[in-house]
Amino acid sequence: MELIILLICGGLTIITSLLVIFARNTVHSALWMVASFFFMAVLYLLLQAEFIAILQIIVYAGAIMMFIIYAIMMLNLRQEERAPMRKTKVVGVVALLVLFLELLVVAVGRGLLAIKGPVTDQLMAKFGHIAVLSNFLFSDYVLPFELASILLTAGVVGAVILAKQKSE
Amino acid sequence: MVAYHNLYLALSVVLFTIGAIGAITRRNAIVVFMCIEIMLGAVNLAFITFGRANQSVDGIFMVMFVMAVAAAEAAVGLAIFILMYRKRGTINVESFNLMKW
Repeated sequence: MELIILLICGGLTIITSLLVIFARNTVHSALWMVASFFFMAVLYLLLQAEFIAILQIIVYAGAIMMFIIYAIMMLNLRQEERAPMRKTKVVGVVALLVLFLELLVVAVGRGLLAIKGPVTDQLMAKFGHIAVLSNFLFSDYVLPFELASILLTAGVVGAVILAKQKSE
Repeated sequence: MVAYHNLYLALSVVLFTIGAIGAITRRNAIVVFMCIEIMLGAVNLAFITFGRANQSVDGIFMVMFVMAVAAAEAAVGLAIFILMYRKRGTINVESFNLMKW
């Protein structure tokens, strides 16, 4: 059962991601991107990361894509004209395909060998996903958590300052 | 129960490559930005897979912080695109040469 859902959603994620990079219209790209994020959220659910699946939909499909669509609406974009690829770009694509094969061999050809941690599925099922996560978040990960809030504040202030129209 | 971790990792590699190819071939800065988001999503999938395979929550926290950084990046990046559009009238990445010498 997991395999069937994995193959369907994985295939749809790949197809929608390809449509993002091949769609000529930027708004269509953005909408395919939303679909891709939703299918990826299903994959997170399959991996039993419910909290991340919810965050994926709220933060990525909700907030970030709304940002992008607002930006597209504010910029009067023409359709990208087709032009022959430069030689450097062709070299880049070939290099990336080589990297792809290398990664595939390493990722799929070898097993995942590491010491297993304490957080088993049974523990998650016993206490609940969010309860287990929050225990770690507010003890081991409290410093990165606070730093992330500083980063987000700095990001918001920076964005406002950058995009503010100078009144002269 | 069989776990399909290798399939998830293969999917992550495919998505990363799609994002990277899009980022170097497209010219529209917003599409390049979305391709970077695809690459971040692929990395997130790999993190979650590793975290689950090793029975650890570290993967999930890495993904949470990647999402926080992506949100901050989206805010600042799109503000920069709007600024560039005002200055140049286009957001074609090949016409950005302000920092080129």
